[in-house]
Amino acid sequence: MLSEDTILLLYEITDVIIAGLSTGSVYALMAVGMTLVYGVTKAFNFAYGDFFNMGGYFAWILIFGLGLQFGGYLVILIIVMPLMFAVGYGLEKLMIAPLRKREDWENKVMMLTLGLALFLTSLYTVVFGVRMKSLPPMLEGTLEVGQLVFAYQDIMIFFMSLGGILLFGWMLNNTRIGMAVKAVAQNPVGAKIVGIPKERIFASTFAISTVMVGFGGILLSQKWFINPMSGGTIMIKAWVVTAFGGMGSIRGGLYAAFIIGMMEAFVGWIFGMSYGIIALFVLLLATLTLRPQGLMGKGE
Amino acid sequence: MRLKHMAIIIGVAYGFMAVLPLFVGDVRFVMNILVMCLIWAVVASCWDVMMGFAGIFSFGQVAFFVMGAYCSGILAIDYHITPVLAIPIAGLFTAGMGVLVGLPCLKLAGPYVALVTFGVHMALQPTLRGEIGIALGSGGSVGLLTIPPIRILGYTFSSANIVPTFYLTLLVSLTCVLIIMFAIKSYWGTAFLALKDSKDFAMSLGISAFKYKLMVFALTSFLTGIIGAYYGHFYGVLSFRMLDMDLFSILMVMMLVGGLGHFPGAVVGAFLVVAGSEFMAPLGAYRAVAMGALVVILVLALPNGIMGFFQKRLAGELMQKCVKN
Repeated sequence: MLSEDTILLLYEITDVIIAGLSTGSVYALMAVGMTLVYGVTKAFNFAYGDFFNMGGYFAWILIFGLGLQFGGYLVILIIVMPLMFAVGYGLEKLMIAPLRKREDWENKVMMLTLGLALFLTSLYTVVFGVRMKSLPPMLEGTLEVGQLVFAYQDIMIFFMSLGGILLFGWMLNNTRIGMAVKAVAQNPVGAKIVGIPKERIFASTFAISTVMVGFGGILLSQKWFINPMSGGTIMIKAWVVTAFGGMGSIRGGLYAAFIIGMMEAFVGWIFGMSYGIIALFVLLLATLTLRPQGLMGKGE
Repeated sequence: MRLKHMAIIIGVAYGFMAVLPLFVGDVRFVMNILVMCLIWAVVASCWDVMMGFAGIFSFGQVAFFVMGAYCSGILAIDYHITPVLAIPIAGLFTAGMGVLVGLPCLKLAGPYVALVTFGVHMALQPTLRGEIGIALGSGGSVGLLTIPPIRILGYTFSSANIVPTFYLTLLVSLTCVLIIMFAIKSYWGTAFLALKDSKDFAMSLGISAFKYKLMVFALTSFLTGIIGAYYGHFYGVLSFRMLDMDLFSILMVMMLVGGLGHFPGAVVGAFLVVAGSEFMAPLGAYRAVAMGALVVILVLALPNGIMGFFQKRLAGELMQKCVKN
């Protein structure tokens, strides 16, 4: 028989694994959005993490600002997702599309989105204050299996983000716009020749990635908090997941997200939360040195 | 831009700075701002060399600045090394760190470099604040509070006697900027530019991308470390809050105002932006919002900054003269 302490330790480890799984699933969502936008449009979005917070803040406004009755996360999603799409589409058209004609525009885009990130971060701080906001959990209560306790919320987060990714994958392979996105990613000139409106596809791709990260923001903000300053950290995380999994590989991103989610949960449990980002950085350097194309990437 | 033009612009900018204390020498507040102008000019120029000339998309400049400042501060407080000696040591330390960060970046494409260097920036704050930093003497979340001022031959350069300190800063800053200017115009600088514009062609001419990119990292982080250390001894107080995005964004605005890759532009940009941001002080918390918006607008509307704008005008006039003759 196992001793009491060992059993307790096992329970604790199970908890950590569950936490890792649910964060990992949201990272997967974010990484897929990032892979998509970089793979298709080659525009690197530094404000990615701030769109994560934007999703959280939109939901917060709906719940606490406008007093939307709780029970309506579905309603919130229905309202916020098109809003995020509109924001993403508009920003791409307004800011990134004009840069595309210039030489070395990829660097210009990086500077511009970094400026956008600073703008949004400080805007959130001014509008919502420095204090973190929290969202009510989607589902209260816990599921008890024997002596193991699972929060419904974690389970919901896990399945909703997996659902989001599957839906996205289905869209990419089966709908007209998804196939157009794939065509532009494979061969922009060829896509233009067969009459795919490239500019519109770029803007839509950017908007879809905004939606995905905003969705992640709504999901994860229930568990963590919405912190106006956290955009940079979140962007780095999404980007590390993407780089670790391999640029342009959705499956690689999925594996990487769960590995990193687990790693973060365990590092946080053993050494304390503040070491998470250091561990992440070490992992990133190791990946880039040993296998620059990532886990599943095909290389340049 | 030709060496002569660069030298003239730098000379005018620093000459203007040098005469200002005659008028405002007794206003401590203004003098402090002027010292800051001179310090940020160096950091912005280093960043400009990295991004605009070598084309390495590094976001680690503020991190190097803080590393230099902390290194020199810790040396002076914990090991009682005189600041005049601690500053060059800090510079060498930062140069070493720059090479260390540069090594993995050499093989990587643009966004990855940005990510690694930005990662250094992001990881530095928890490091300084956490147990590792405290073990090294960074003072944890309090920061360093008692950094001794620079003392040369028994004379103390601190904010108490601001005018001599200002001229010392001017000397240090001008030296750094001149080093950058000559580096840009030397064989090195031409090699950087060649590597940026056409890497394959430059390499076929025998220019080693490995060597020159590492050199850029070493040079810029050395100068940034030196000026960071100087900042620490001037200010006397250091905190990891410097790694917040405010400083980062304001440096970015300096570079963009001056013009990325239009060298003395960063110096002029730094002078203008530091002064301008003081005017924006009444905006309070909205200042950061305005700075972020300014970056976006500048990238969209003024891609080559003031320098690029004037250069274009100048080139246009010359062209017209040629046509008339």
